Amino acid sequence: MKRKYTGLRAWLVQRVSAVYMFLFIVFFLVHLAVDPPRQYPAWHAWITSPAMSIATAAFFAALLAHAWVGLRDVLVDYVHAMAIRAALLGLVGLSLTGMGVWVVRILWTQHG
Amino acid sequence: MRFSIFRYSPERDEKPYMQAFDIEIQPTDRMLLDVILRIRDSQDDSLTLRKSCREGVCGSDAININGRNGLACVTPVRELKEPVELRPLPTFPIIRDLVVDMTRFYKQYYSIKPYVINDEAAPAKERLQSPQDREKLDGSYECILCACCTSQCPSSWWNPDKFVGPAGLLQAYRFIVDSRDRATRERLDDLGDPYRLFRCRTIMNCTEVCPKGLSPSRAIERIRLTMLNVHGDEGGLALHRVPPIR
Repeated sequence: MKRKYTGLRAWLVQRVSAVYMFLFIVFFLVHLAVDPPRQYPAWHAWITSPAMSIATAAFFAALLAHAWVGLRDVLVDYVHAMAIRAALLGLVGLSLTGMGVWVVRILWTQHG
Repeated sequence: MRFSIFRYSPERDEKPYMQAFDIEIQPTDRMLLDVILRIRDSQDDSLTLRKSCREGVCGSDAININGRNGLACVTPVRELKEPVELRPLPTFPIIRDLVVDMTRFYKQYYSIKPYVINDEAAPAKERLQSPQDREKLDGSYECILCACCTSQCPSSWWNPDKFVGPAGLLQAYRFIVDSRDRATRERLDDLGDPYRLFRCRTIMNCTEVCPKGLSPSRAIERIRLTMLNVHGDEGGLALHRVPPIR
């Protein structure tokens, strides 16, 4: 997509990520309702299985991208002083990145 | 009926105020504009407003009526909740009373190049257009540029200089789908950045208050799909019933 279409790209990211998150959540809830892992080892095995790892990682990537686009839209709407907006956007970006790192730690490392 | 009308004259007043008027509704009073003019002529002739065609086609008398934008000349007066609050179009600079400065609004309209761009050799008589192609303009050419939509759009409130606004974008759509126009790529390129079109959050205030029953939000969605090369409904935009102002 050409550089001058950054608005379209952000809009698309928000919608595609929303669709994926919806499908993932539905699948997740149905799985918990139909075949729930009853102890921690079963849960851990399910969540860290290759398919679920990829799907879950994609879910959180979608969530962070979606949240970034949403929060950036809010700041662009309401904060017109560029210096303040840049600072707030940096804060939001840092927070979301931190949350992303935290998710990885919790789900896929021993430190979780 | 009781009316509460926004008054502000920069030369005379320090700040705006609401002035109350009581007037007997006569059998000949059908629309709000009839009553405003009788108030002006019988009680306070300094009351200032724009009006012209008195039939809903010029767009001059667009004002905020009980919180919703509309044309005074086609708003039935008897059904309005009292006291009827009349204000100028929201967030537009005020010249006097109900008269606002439309410069910003027109500037956004001009910025989308509201004319057919076609550098091909001019035909002997005219650039032909089939009835099917002409139908694609339905639901967008009827805009009277009254600014009810744009002044009710929160995205226009927050970024009036950068967001084109519903009226401008509806006209952008009108030229994008015009079969005689050859600048479609340039028109779409112009609207791809985060501001000109993509401040729109599909709030749909525009569609709700359009006194001509037009749907700028539908047009904006179609522009987005056109940018993605997704071809959905290619026909004109349907007009919708205008929700009455109460």
